[in-house]
Amino acid sequence: MIGCAEYRRAVLTNPRDAPPELATHLADCHECSAYLERLLRFEDRLGRALRVDVRESAEPVRMRPRRVYRGWLAMAASVVAALVLAGGLWVAAPHSSLAADVVAHMAGEPEAWARTDVPVPASDLDRVLERAHMRLTPKAGMVSYAQSCRFRGHTVPHLVVQTGMGPVTVMVLSYDSVAKTVRFDEEGYRGVIIPVLGHGSLAVLARGPDADLAVVRKVAERVENAIVWESGPSATQP
Amino acid sequence: MKDEVGGNLQRARFQALCRALRPDLLRFAFWLARDLALAEDVVQETMLRAWKARDSLKDEAAAKPWLLTIIRREYARSFERRRLATVDVDELIAKEEPMLAASQDQDIAELRAALFKLPDEYREPLVLQVLMGYSTAEIAAELRLSNAAVLTRLFRARKRLRALCGEDTALDPEDTAGDGDE
Repeated sequence: MIGCAEYRRAVLTNPRDAPPELATHLADCHECSAYLERLLRFEDRLGRALRVDVRESAEPVRMRPRRVYRGWLAMAASVVAALVLAGGLWVAAPHSSLAADVVAHMAGEPEAWARTDVPVPASDLDRVLERAHMRLTPKAGMVSYAQSCRFRGHTVPHLVVQTGMGPVTVMVLSYDSVAKTVRFDEEGYRGVIIPVLGHGSLAVLARGPDADLAVVRKVAERVENAIVWESGPSATQP
Repeated sequence: MKDEVGGNLQRARFQALCRALRPDLLRFAFWLARDLALAEDVVQETMLRAWKARDSLKDEAAAKPWLLTIIRREYARSFERRRLATVDVDELIAKEEPMLAASQDQDIAELRAALFKLPDEYREPLVLQVLMGYSTAEIAAELRLSNAAVLTRLFRARKRLRALCGEDTALDPEDTAGDGDE
């Protein structure tokens, strides 16, 4: 014959799967019956609390490692990037640059490039922007895609703005600064990375041989003007 | 050519498996790390390690516990790399506020914040039991504990969680388990 304390101790370890021998106690004890009822209600809430919504952060499954820059490697990469930028060079083959990383990131999310006239739900866009401590005024244009993406060790907004030319991707790189505008043309992507004072940079790019860099530049300018910074990270200017 | 096709098929099958399990794996990693960005990194590294070690998975049905074990190891590795001496729970809660408050239900948001405050040794078996559906024996095997120690931790986890959430705990039994049960 078990007592109330023993019964409650047992159900607290697993309210949904109490040993059968405890059932006899439950049949005779109204207080423990009510206790179990309350516990099961709590358990139901616990289950819902643990099932956090991970859809917004669902990244594609990749079978190759991300490009990771750490310690002196990151420092060396910064020096190389600074030299390239100081010369104002056209980054034609940005294999070790910020542009290369942006282009590499594009390969993981091909669905973002759909031409559409359906905007991303405002709540999804807000969630992505909030994580980056920013807002976007309507003058940015129609945003059809918004994800919080991991990029160079940080979570950054990955947006797609629809234009007459087709979709143009914008990555808000608050943690990566450039000294001046960098243009790149690599692996079928053409774009620019523009400095954003105190907030890193914006990478803006279009896909395909018909991609017009002038349109890309215009989108970059439009989005930069549409961003309202709430607070948050500010990258160190190079 | 045949090998290449076989390799591609194996890769596609593995990716499909990982894609199907990813939400649960990410949830588990999130509750382990209490940091979504870190959880995403841990899951990504886990997938890579799993792909390299795919030959050691003999039965696809066992993929989930196999991946959970890799996640735990990978999280421990990341923890060593970061060498964090202390964790400010309030900072963690503030950082993950959008995730915790994603539910419209205020009770759920409060419960999530309370889960953040649970010590790791209580939160982990609770997540394995409630979210992953592990039995006591399976939790014991995963955490390398005795069954009695797992039961003690689950008891304490719920008792603390209920108190943190302001539940009526007047009828909760006293914690009489000694350290020996751990």
